[in-house]
Amino acid sequence: MTVDPNAATQGFPSPGPARPHPARYLVPALVGAAVAVGLGAYGRIHDPAGTSFNLAGFSSTGAVKSWLATAALFFALVQVASALMLYGKLPGPRWSEALHRWSGRAAFLLAVPVAVHCLYALGYQTYETRVFWHSLLGCFFFGAFSAKMLLLRSERLPGWLLPLVGGLVFTVLTIIWLTSALWFFRTFGVTT
Amino acid sequence: MKRPGPLLTLLAGLVLGLFLLTLNVTSGTRNASSSYQEPAPSPTPTAGAASPAPSPSPSPSPTAAPPEDAEYAGRTDDDSAAIAVTVRDGKAIAYFCDGRTKESWLKGDVEDDGTLRLTGKHGAKLDGTIEADRRISGTVDVAGGHHAFTADRAKKPSGLYRATATVRSATIDAGWIVLRDGTQVGVLTRDGEPSPAPRIDPETGAVTIDGRQLTARPATP
Repeated sequence: MTVDPNAATQGFPSPGPARPHPARYLVPALVGAAVAVGLGAYGRIHDPAGTSFNLAGFSSTGAVKSWLATAALFFALVQVASALMLYGKLPGPRWSEALHRWSGRAAFLLAVPVAVHCLYALGYQTYETRVFWHSLLGCFFFGAFSAKMLLLRSERLPGWLLPLVGGLVFTVLTIIWLTSALWFFRTFGVTT
Repeated sequence: MKRPGPLLTLLAGLVLGLFLLTLNVTSGTRNASSSYQEPAPSPTPTAGAASPAPSPSPSPSPTAAPPEDAEYAGRTDDDSAAIAVTVRDGKAIAYFCDGRTKESWLKGDVEDDGTLRLTGKHGAKLDGTIEADRRISGTVDVAGGHHAFTADRAKKPSGLYRATATVRSATIDAGWIVLRDGTQVGVLTRDGEPSPAPRIDPETGAVTIDGRQLTARPATP
């Protein structure tokens, strides 16, 4: 039996420029999935309370949530603009990095009370197309956001990954807003 | 693993979420655990009139507390219909329903002395008084009928539920009163046509209407 010296050899993993450990992507992805599924499961299993606390000065929790969500969407738009500055697609000031960080935090922290109210008072519901997508993407948003936050902690990511995940988070938040706050304003009027 | 910022952001969100959840849970039980005594409607020897006389001074006495947030459910005195009232933050929503064709949603304010004056479509009207945060008694006028009623304070799962949806381009508006013994009285309105409503699962509010799974929610003002 002879061995063909020209046969293709099994490719060795090239020991050259660092191929990042898969945990880099796996951990954020798994944590994000766990967050999304956990929120959905909580919303589905627990008995919706129907009511929740209200903020002074607003006529209903729906109005409070709609305005909080609108504010979050505003900061999300700032996110897109400041991200374009960071990647040099738009001329930006020196502090565009801080702008990106803090507008993101603001958007996230504004969205949290809305989500708490949704999950506590209304739960995960599927009785209408709008409601179904809102429930699904609402849970997905917090998972995707968690994944993005964890990805940020890794160095040397492929260049396309953060813009992709960030764009996903923004798109999902926009759909969530369209299926809730916009619906609320169109149904009940732009009230406070 | 150098940057702590994103992790701190996530933690801040988690802490905020848990804080708000705790606030929700505790504020939900606050009323139930309150041992505060409602002074107004308790029968005092000097009170001659049956209904609490509106005092000429509009300012309530400093000890008077507004009625607690609560649910009430009961039947009309002639036993022809059920009625339920939900009180939240000085506002009330009520539902009158005979389980077949007659129903009405009524809304309005609750005075600090516990007086309710609610109105609904087609001239529906409810006048009642919350007595010591334990029951509501009064009268209701719906569809030409005049009924006296008493509704006792209800505990979950009894109370008032509502589901609205669009099923196959028909507008569905359904209401249920779940009484203390588990009896359900409900009317389902399809594009304005009333009919008896199917039973809901009082634990989850799940109900199937025209083949579609809906969720009835506790109705609030």
